[in-house]
Amino acid sequence: MGTELISNLLEIYTAEDPMAFAHPDGDPWADFREVMRVEWKVDFTYKHVLGKYSKFFIELANHKFLTTECPNCGKVWGIPRPLCSDCMTITKWKELPGTGTMVSYSISNFVPAFMKVETPYVLAMVKMDGADTLFTHQLRNYGDIENIKMNMPVKVAYATEPVVHPMLLMHFEPA
Amino acid sequence: MEILDKERRVYVLGGGISKFAAERTDANMRDWINEATLEALEDSGCKIQDIEHTTTSYFSDHFDKQLKAGAIFHDNIGMCPKPNVRVEGGGGTGGLAIRNAYAYIKAGLCDSMIVIGAENMGRHVPSDVAQQFIALASDTDWEVQVAGFYIAYYALMMNAHMEKYGTTEEQFAKVSVKNHRNAMSNPKAHYPMDITVDDVMNSKMITYPYKLLDNCLLSDGAACIVFATEEWAKKHSTTWEKKPTIEVTGTGCGTDYMRLADRPYPEPGIMHFRGKQEGARQAYEMAGVKDPMKEFDCFEVHDAYSGVELVSYEDLGFCKPGESGKLMDQGVFDIGGELPTNTSGGLIGFGHPVGATGLAQGIEVLRQLRQEVDPVRQVELNNKRGGMDSHGGTGTFCAINIFERRD
Ligand SMILES: [Zn+2]
Repeated sequence: MGTELISNLLEIYTAEDPMAFAHPDGDPWADFREVMRVEWKVDFTYKHVLGKYSKFFIELANHKFLTTECPNCGKVWGIPRPLCSDCMTITKWKELPGTGTMVSYSISNFVPAFMKVETPYVLAMVKMDGADTLFTHQLRNYGDIENIKMNMPVKVAYATEPVVHPMLLMHFEPA
Repeated sequence: MEILDKERRVYVLGGGISKFAAERTDANMRDWINEATLEALEDSGCKIQDIEHTTTSYFSDHFDKQLKAGAIFHDNIGMCPKPNVRVEGGGGTGGLAIRNAYAYIKAGLCDSMIVIGAENMGRHVPSDVAQQFIALASDTDWEVQVAGFYIAYYALMMNAHMEKYGTTEEQFAKVSVKNHRNAMSNPKAHYPMDITVDDVMNSKMITYPYKLLDNCLLSDGAACIVFATEEWAKKHSTTWEKKPTIEVTGTGCGTDYMRLADRPYPEPGIMHFRGKQEGARQAYEMAGVKDPMKEFDCFEVHDAYSGVELVSYEDLGFCKPGESGKLMDQGVFDIGGELPTNTSGGLIGFGHPVGATGLAQGIEVLRQLRQEVDPVRQVELNNKRGGMDSHGGTGTFCAINIFERRD
């Protein structure tokens, strides 16, 4: 046949008209219902720069939780920003105690497979003590799932095992 | 903001939709664009040779594995060498594309525009890879790395809403029941279904409070709308004044921080779509709408997840914050209710091929206002006005557009 020369060929099939309900006089695309499907594998790795908030990740490794404070308007962002987007002033690094209040959370029984996390897992939004906005990370070591409560106090805990991304050098735990 | 040229008006001449489905293995994106465009040209009574400009509406280069797909869509329908511009704002892409057509025509850059949108989101990649692609539409440095994905983000928002207002899972489930049911009279819908609140409540838990049937699905499909001025339509549209005349009378757009965490806390906080409130304010002001609940005959509301529809009711000003669940219980948003929403089935019932979704909303409103839809889902025209609400991310891009019938 010759199609065996195609190394990524998946299948050749005859498709049905998905809009037959709209075509009482016959399929206008009848000549185009032979369909071929092939496989296309894509695999690449990025060398990604963490930019001007890299220091946050560098200091996480030192068990310090840093954020930024605006020298003009005084806003302390939960997640650091090199430029205060409230007033467009270049910010300063500031260390926070790493404690806070969990103002919302979600418990997932599903996770996209590329994310290496055991289910169920808990995503928490935390109002960090000393910051004006929130920080998002996983809540772990909560014991029984019934222990998880809205507005519970939490604290930053640091990784003790190797991690695949610097963001995973930390997580939240009940305080 | 002031519309200076009140005489120059923008009309919706026609639309076309290619069947939304889980997986369109009979064809690919460019084929769906062709199908939707042929239908839109017939509906609008126009020839492609006369249309002056394209807007391309699609979201993801990952799903499509084709950068600059807009060039392919545009040359497929014979628009070269005429101008083309791509609009993108995640799930809000289609709504922004309609707004773009209005702006270009209103500004005089063209008198006519074809808006074409599609997304190839079906099962050509495994569903967890698809979830990965969608997760890439949140902050990849700060949110994705902690295993953030969209159902979980929306669950964080809804848990806060439930905590503050007492909104219930059953009220979310009613949105899913309504939208799947409405889709049953829409032959192009991906997911028409006659289900009960119990069916939704008993479906597989993904992230509390969201179960499988609370979520929209990934769909394949395309949609197309033709816009023009009256003068152009009189000259080039064979259906002008043979079909009811539909005008774009309002458009608004609002935004919010990419990350939920950065939004001003505690107010407006993480349980409302601030960008939607802003977009709706602009669109209503433009169209002279004071009381949206009473002044619209139908509204297509962004329902990527059932709770999103409820919160959107509040942010679109249909009711006060926290009241949407109660109104849902009363059937206010059912066909035959005070303000029927998602008569097409919405994202949950009709489907969500992202770049086509906002356009499909526009086509539903167009056909409702022309009284062309299946009588089962036809609304009563008291105001001759319909709205649509399209948003991306967790409300990072919001576009609200208003169509009105003139006769
Ligand atoms: Zn500042």
